[in-house]
Amino acid sequence: MAGLRPVAREQLRASATLRWRLLVNSLRSVRGRLNLVSRSIGGLVVGSAALGGAVALGATAWELTSNGKVQWLAIFFWIIFLFWQLFPLMATAFTQNVDTSAFLRFPLTYRTYFFVRLVMGTLDIATALGICWSIGVLVGICAAVPRLIPWAVLAVLAFMAFNVLLARMTFVWIEHWLSRRRSREIMGLLFFLVMIGFQFIGPALDHYSKKPATQRFRYVAKAAPVERVLPPGLCTEVLTAAEKRNLPKALGALAMIFAYSGTALGLLHLRLRQQFRGESPEDSAAAAALTSSNVIRPGWKLPFVSAPVSAVFEKELHYFSRSGPMLFTMLVPLLVVLVVIGGRRSLLAQQSELFFPIGAGYCLLVMTNLVYNSFGGDGGGIQCLLISPVSFRQIVFAKNLAQFTVLVTEILILWLGVCLIYNPPRLVFLALTFCWYLFATPVNFSIGNLLSLYSPKKIDYAVFGRQRASETTIFASLGVQLVIMGIGALTIFIGYRASNYWIGVLILAALAIPSITGYIVVLRRIDPIVMTRREVLATELCKA
Amino acid sequence: MGAAILTENLTRRFGDFAAVDDVNLHVETGQFYGFLGPNGAGKSTTIKMLTGLMAPTSGRMQILGLDLATHLVDVKRQIGVVPEGMALFGRLTGSEYLNFAGRMYGLDRNTAAQRAAELLEFMELLDHPKTLITDYSHGMQKKLAMAAAVIHGPKVLFLDEPFEGVDAIASGTLKAMLQRMTARGATIFLTSHVLEIVERLCTHVGIINDGRLVAQGSLDELRSGITDEASPGERMSLEEFFLKTVGGPRTSAQELSWLG
Repeated sequence: MAGLRPVAREQLRASATLRWRLLVNSLRSVRGRLNLVSRSIGGLVVGSAALGGAVALGATAWELTSNGKVQWLAIFFWIIFLFWQLFPLMATAFTQNVDTSAFLRFPLTYRTYFFVRLVMGTLDIATALGICWSIGVLVGICAAVPRLIPWAVLAVLAFMAFNVLLARMTFVWIEHWLSRRRSREIMGLLFFLVMIGFQFIGPALDHYSKKPATQRFRYVAKAAPVERVLPPGLCTEVLTAAEKRNLPKALGALAMIFAYSGTALGLLHLRLRQQFRGESPEDSAAAAALTSSNVIRPGWKLPFVSAPVSAVFEKELHYFSRSGPMLFTMLVPLLVVLVVIGGRRSLLAQQSELFFPIGAGYCLLVMTNLVYNSFGGDGGGIQCLLISPVSFRQIVFAKNLAQFTVLVTEILILWLGVCLIYNPPRLVFLALTFCWYLFATPVNFSIGNLLSLYSPKKIDYAVFGRQRASETTIFASLGVQLVIMGIGALTIFIGYRASNYWIGVLILAALAIPSITGYIVVLRRIDPIVMTRREVLATELCKA
Repeated sequence: MGAAILTENLTRRFGDFAAVDDVNLHVETGQFYGFLGPNGAGKSTTIKMLTGLMAPTSGRMQILGLDLATHLVDVKRQIGVVPEGMALFGRLTGSEYLNFAGRMYGLDRNTAAQRAAELLEFMELLDHPKTLITDYSHGMQKKLAMAAAVIHGPKVLFLDEPFEGVDAIASGTLKAMLQRMTARGATIFLTSHVLEIVERLCTHVGIINDGRLVAQGSLDELRSGITDEASPGERMSLEEFFLKTVGGPRTSAQELSWLG
């Protein structure tokens, strides 16, 4: 900062202080302090990944370079490159970034603004890990062949600079799109799909390893020319050429990395300059895209229930269908069954007829957040429910009806999946699952309704991760689920020991009677409870 | 005409602190009543109690002759509310929300849909049919909250800072709508920090300070009760009366000397 004017220096200091104060102020609440603990643990994990990754990559790079297989380093550079560029984008689904474009309202020079945007945006996990891993590779190469040190230092530094600039450039160009709620949901969904995709790496490798070597090399040969002209490949090209003492080729490859970095820098400058001048093409495009329509579709009408119950039911399903995380949660049981298919040889695969009851139990489990904090997603809308002339018994019943509909849909999908992948479950297992649900669902709904009123917590169902119900709800729901699952497992065990699963069906059917009665009793008590809890509900759920 | 809103010794305490202390409101049917007070005076707490969002510690409340403690649901059917938090469901579209609100107030599906369309057009929100409420601007959310509050044609309307964040054109439309409602016999109870709005719209005013009702009456009554010391014989503006009642502005000694 020595070359900066005093005003600019003070502005940069103020920007750094802002980040620090945001952290300190977040510690005022218990939740904030708990977040710091989880962040510290996360920091340790990231630190371990950085150090461990750097050591592992360094050791492998040393091994490859020592054995004259420098061209294989391309794999590392590609892994680092892809992680560096893709992880921050997907992480936007989980994090609220400081909107550095807000700095525009202050009298910053363009140079200072550019510097703030570049530096503040770079302080992320992907950059930290990318730099550590790149340095690990660099150390490995240098230790293996000291003659390559100057080239390796230049190539890796250029590679790191390119990654920093490209990541910033991409983010700055698409941040308007990313700032939209829907975009963040899409990125969050992509992130989870990528995470699940890792489950399929093993089977994929297994599949390709069975192909003849000539066919495998044909794929590699096709990709090689493209790979070589992109920065991770160019970085390897510098080292390969330097190893063979082909200086013009090494210099050419290095120049191309600088050219890529220059292009990224130029595009970053172009965009930031636009922002600095107050130009925002997206806003005018959005304004032009507005349409007008005065046709309003009437709401849903469910048979046998009142209009308010239909209205709340419709609202709940709209909420559910618009929540990426909830839809993803719904897919989980099916994905688990699909992933388990990869391990047909596993112990559980011998008991495939249990997949349906186990999957059905899992379906109920993944609904816990929704059922035990059923007003959490309503936020300020709770006031609308409180001021409306409708009894809360109807509102809560409508919410339970919607949750039950989701559960039934999920179980149907699961049943289809199990039928397609394995065999249709036997009648006795269908009956076991049905009776367990008759017992377990009312218990869950009864306790869930009470906890939703006694321990509400505002939750944004559009956001992935870091959102939990209150601690009380988490522990209580965990206990209830353990008991319910335990009873289910016990009845299956009794049926297994008696060689007659119908005994389990009878036990569960008998347990369903007090469970349903309890649900009705709780539902009848809902309105007096709401009268005493209305202020807590409104205060807790209307929090900003 | 009978009282549309009546409170007797209405009190709400939070521990030792009395947010609303012994308040006796009297609002006649058809009045446009402005409820004023500085920040933290007890306006929102009062409106929350009158709309059933909060229980009083003591005292009685009657809306349209019905006791809130015993006829809460009957009262709710006849009132419309724009509370402090606007009571919106962020992940519904504007039309879905109005449809929902209409049916919650007992309208049939078709009437709710028809009124929703009319209200969206009136509030100039029809251009955003697929936009979720969470993506609306603050002003648009206010207009939508107002639309939901009137969809069932309430006899008493409670509005907590209804014009905050609403643009001048929409504000004008809303004011005209509210005046038409009072002309047809509806009662409006409004809180606002903007004294000009209250002075222009309201027929009657109540002023609350530190939880206590310090003045209540028609605008003319209040302004004629105290004369301007600087200009004896001239009536005070509402702002002057308000400042006189709740405490005047800072003295010049407190001003920031370095400001140009």
